Amino acid sequence: MSLPVYIFKRMLQALPLLFVISVLAFTMLMISPVDPLATMKANPSVSAAAIKAEEERLGLNKPAPERYAIWLANTLQGNLGMSSTGGSIAHRLFTCAGNTLLLNVFTFTFVWLIALPAGVYAAVHRGKFIDKLFGIITSTGMSMPTFLMCFLLLMLALATGILPIGGMTSPNFDDMDKLHQMLDIGHHLIMPVCVLTFIQLAGIQRQVRSNLLDVLRADYVRTARAKGVDETRVIYKHALRNAVNPLITLLGFEFASLLSGAAITEMVLGYPGLGFLTLGAVLTKDINLVMASLMMGASMLILGNLLADVLLKITDPRISID
Amino acid sequence: MGKIVRGNSTSAPASTANDPKPKILFPDPGPRKLVVDKDGNEMWQGRGEVGKFGRALRLAEFGAGPKTFNCWDASDATSHGIGLIQNESLVDYDPWSGKPIPRLAKSFEVSKDGRTITFVLRKGLKWSDGHALNADDVVFTYGKLVKEGFGASSARDTLSVEGDYPQVNKVDDLTVTFTFKAPFAPFLYNLNSVAVAPKHILEPLTKRPQEEFHKFWDINTDPKTLVGSGPFILDRYIVGQRYELKRNPYFSIVDKEGQRLPYLDKISVEIVPDQNTEIMKFLGGEVDLLDVKTVRGQDASMLKHKEAQLGFKLYNLGPDDGTIFLLLNMARRKNPKTGKYFVDPVKQEWFNNKDFRWALSHAINRRGVINNVLKGVGYPLYTVETPASLYFDKDLKPIEYSLDKANALLTRAGFVKKDGVLYDAKGNVVEFSLTTNSGNGIRDAVCIMLKEDFKKLGIKVNYQPIEFNTMINRIHQSLEFEGVMMGLTGSRFEPYGGANIWKSNARMHNIDCRQSIDETEPYLKDVRPWEKEIDRSLDGAANTYDEAQRHKLYNRFSEIIYDEQALIFIYTNVMLTAARNDVGNYRPTPYGSVYYTPKGSMYNLEEIYIKGAH
Amino acid sequence: MTQGVIAEPIKVDSALVTKRKKGILAQLWRDRVARTALCVLFCFYLCAALADFFAPYSMEFGDTNIGNAPATLIHIYDDNGDLCAPYVLQVAQENNLETYQQTFTELPDKKFPIKLFIKAEPYKLLGFIPTDIHLFGVGEPARLFILGADMNGRDNFSRLFFGAQKSLTIGFLGLLIAFPIGILYGGISGYLGGAIDNLMMRFAEAVMSIPSFYLLIGLAAVLPTGMTGVQRFALITVILSFIGWSPLARVIRGMVLRIREEEFVQSARAVGLPEFQNIIKHVLPQTASYVIVAATLQVPTFILSESSLSLIGLGIQQPDASWGNMLKAAMDQPTELLNQPWLIAPGFLIFATILCFNSIGDVLRDVLDPQLQGRT
Repeated sequence: MSLPVYIFKRMLQALPLLFVISVLAFTMLMISPVDPLATMKANPSVSAAAIKAEEERLGLNKPAPERYAIWLANTLQGNLGMSSTGGSIAHRLFTCAGNTLLLNVFTFTFVWLIALPAGVYAAVHRGKFIDKLFGIITSTGMSMPTFLMCFLLLMLALATGILPIGGMTSPNFDDMDKLHQMLDIGHHLIMPVCVLTFIQLAGIQRQVRSNLLDVLRADYVRTARAKGVDETRVIYKHALRNAVNPLITLLGFEFASLLSGAAITEMVLGYPGLGFLTLGAVLTKDINLVMASLMMGASMLILGNLLADVLLKITDPRISID
Repeated sequence: MGKIVRGNSTSAPASTANDPKPKILFPDPGPRKLVVDKDGNEMWQGRGEVGKFGRALRLAEFGAGPKTFNCWDASDATSHGIGLIQNESLVDYDPWSGKPIPRLAKSFEVSKDGRTITFVLRKGLKWSDGHALNADDVVFTYGKLVKEGFGASSARDTLSVEGDYPQVNKVDDLTVTFTFKAPFAPFLYNLNSVAVAPKHILEPLTKRPQEEFHKFWDINTDPKTLVGSGPFILDRYIVGQRYELKRNPYFSIVDKEGQRLPYLDKISVEIVPDQNTEIMKFLGGEVDLLDVKTVRGQDASMLKHKEAQLGFKLYNLGPDDGTIFLLLNMARRKNPKTGKYFVDPVKQEWFNNKDFRWALSHAINRRGVINNVLKGVGYPLYTVETPASLYFDKDLKPIEYSLDKANALLTRAGFVKKDGVLYDAKGNVVEFSLTTNSGNGIRDAVCIMLKEDFKKLGIKVNYQPIEFNTMINRIHQSLEFEGVMMGLTGSRFEPYGGANIWKSNARMHNIDCRQSIDETEPYLKDVRPWEKEIDRSLDGAANTYDEAQRHKLYNRFSEIIYDEQALIFIYTNVMLTAARNDVGNYRPTPYGSVYYTPKGSMYNLEEIYIKGAH
Repeated sequence: MTQGVIAEPIKVDSALVTKRKKGILAQLWRDRVARTALCVLFCFYLCAALADFFAPYSMEFGDTNIGNAPATLIHIYDDNGDLCAPYVLQVAQENNLETYQQTFTELPDKKFPIKLFIKAEPYKLLGFIPTDIHLFGVGEPARLFILGADMNGRDNFSRLFFGAQKSLTIGFLGLLIAFPIGILYGGISGYLGGAIDNLMMRFAEAVMSIPSFYLLIGLAAVLPTGMTGVQRFALITVILSFIGWSPLARVIRGMVLRIREEEFVQSARAVGLPEFQNIIKHVLPQTASYVIVAATLQVPTFILSESSLSLIGLGIQQPDASWGNMLKAAMDQPTELLNQPWLIAPGFLIFATILCFNSIGDVLRDVLDPQLQGRT
């Protein structure tokens, strides 16, 4: 089938999927024993009447299906509602999603900028010292728990004082000019980007390396070599292109995990992104906010999978998706 | 902090016990002067040194950030904290004596029968938009806004008793009277947390449904529309990250040279995920001041260590007014809906036995708890009013850590210990469950120590932490709990603030809550005589302005709780703050440190300035 | 959180697979890295199984007189300066309320030698053999805190062993639940095909589409409260497996679809072998190599998820020890860490465990997939 039709069909399929996800998420929230009013109830100066009023305002007394219906109706109209902390959800959501996106764009760029040449180099110089060294680094990267690395970097920041201690902007951010503002954000991004890059780098580098090795063993490469084609041309003109093809699908998956992957890093480093937002919302049972961010995360994942499949279809006509 | 030192042959540990008194670190500069300028504006004069204008104070706060910028709709500490910087109240607390002093008012007077309080405002007060601030605003705020329950109704609850909300009358442009049916002494202290509202902005909202008031000045508001009377007004809020307050040019307090305060151009507060991040930022030089409740006992040694190196000073203000205690469920009733007892009748006998409670109290090694959990930085506590309180009862003696006394009391109450296990008079094994909120390392450690302490008496304690929300639910709603270890904030000025816990029909009367979620009204038929006496003492103290009488009644209140060990108190924290050396005019006092953060211990926020080159 | 990409294995002849399997362990052993990893893991699991024996103190034992004690100094020189058998001294806690310093002073009166196979707290070895012998320790009332004590005076070193029990087993337990579900689900879906297959896969996709970390927190927040440590542990395991089954189901289903059309399966069908036997006999062995590799690589994910949960406070709760919640306790006092860096030991143990599993998984993948031979 043609590409536009395929995309359309997939998006149609995504709708019931999103519906199921929203029901799942809502059910989880309803079952959770977390009480959004607990802090109020524990405060001696808050009267019973005040608590009741807050319950009314948040609609906590209505039965679950009714609350779901209200939420669904609102969302479809584009009204993501108010967080129980009193702010507009849409605004917070998009700001935080934007912050996470920024973080991931940088990570993404660095990962591929480093992983591609590193993978190629390792494949070409297979077995040599550099390859083994990369092997150790990537092993470490893949096994290192995110929170541990974040934490070690935080300790380093504290001990040396070169890097800011978490957060995204300095206190005098708004007094700076545009250039300094960008530099300030960049300064704050160093730690989370380092952590995320190091960890993701590992997987990608290995994949590049193994794909290239696969391809280098293939018949057509042997033929090219036999024909006497210069080795560099063999690698860069013939092999690499074919090795990279499967990696394109990875692009799609990367996109998909863009929003969820950074959650722990954001938490430990206090970076105001989507993961940070969602975690806080779940722990305080801020229903509207949790639903909104879960749906956003899920949509990104689905879009990412779709992107991956589409890219695959484009680059390798041999493969039929359906 | 945990170094091993080669010592000499003394085998007993020598803990230098600290005298539990509020610490006055700076001398009282005397009362404030009222200054009249050439236009007739009456302004208070600051008591600090003359500082420099400009620069910003960088602070941090942990939590989720504010929920609203509408001070009168705030029900959480963060929003309240910002609201009370943006807005002023009629009265304030004197930082050295703790007595109420006029703030927006020029003076106030309580009538002889205690039923009427007259406030005279200062002349020339203005809102941050230039509009005049006068008696109309006061009457509007207390006579309409708070009275009719717009916003958080807790405001109304703290200013009055049920059925006796004061009459608010305008006498002239600068004079307002509040008239009660019966004297209500806590009024003056509680008035500080209900600021005067701008009538010219909020009045239209009082003609509309109450939900609209909730939405007004919420966190999506354009800060330019905010109007207040305080030294700083919100300038910017970046959700989840930071908020900034800027100078209010119409603020009506001046310094010794007659210059209008505040000195600072800006206060910037960063929102961080937890306490540790806040402390790390302070150490890293990104934050200028760590206020009360941020510095924990365990952090003290590390901070003290780094004082000289990083150029800041750690201030010890003596005991806090919060309490940490063990709560035993003394309810004797059955849940009317299920027909089951809230507490197993066997255990009811123990929890209601005074000797049993005293035995437990003697068995708790309070110093040990403080040493381990707070690294020694804390004070043992034996009754509800901590040594920080104006009404602390000095006659109540500390409860000795003595297993002998504990065992003697248990024996007297008929308990028998066999093979290391305690049995009650009827032969039941003494065993109960203890809980606290999960995820809190300090509470967890305290509970484990309690468990060990009680084990020495032969009592088996089943300890299981649960989520905060569930814990609150169990204590106040389902009433299905046996032992809970928790803490509450207190007040150093007004013990009546505890009425919501100690009065028999109170919502949070945790020792024997009289209205579970399954009941529609409180069940008051089995109120104990001493509970009734607590009710009378509290009400009596609230109904008079006679200080001698108040002391007597509040002492009785403390004494009853002590005698009965109604709650078994364990410790209270030390109030510690830390400020960089370049923060000028920072002179924290115990009584001046009671404000919601970010104001915190900066009772003179308008006088704070940054030293050094500007 | 893509920690590694599992590439789909290429279709393989079933006969070759069986022959390969016999040499797996031998081939693993031959690879130096895998060999080290296997040894390390074996040590870890041995320590976990015999935790009570190796640890000088039980999980709950705490000396509340000396909370926050630093690592006990082991002396090897006696008073005259000569070498002697290692011994420790009793320690007392002192609190200076002017400087807020808490120091620990050694009391030189009595020496407590370190004894091997000492009689200490009783326990049940492997759960049923009652004994009270510990590998090493010191006599009362001195304490041997190799990595210091926590706030309650509990030995950090001992609790590492007990933490290992939870953190290491949760991986396998999760696997035991997730994988059978995943394989069965995927297998059935692929075999039945058609509309049912479509429906089942859509549901699996729905579960997979919720970002895993959020799913994790969401489910953990749902846990009823007031459960005992064991119950909580079990439920968390179930939650973790809830995340693990769907990707596996999807892959298995894809493989089943492919294999189903293979000639030898079709010929078996033609001959008249019942459908179910078909699956078991032909399809499952094909998927085996994939499953083994996936399993090895999934265990570290579970271990990591448990630690992440504990970090937020939703995992295994105190007073039970798990590497995750010990790490949380350490991270609650970051400023202490600069002086007592060994408090991050649980974090490094988690790292080491994951590293070992990943290394073994890598080698397994190379071993089981002959097309990939000669890669390393």
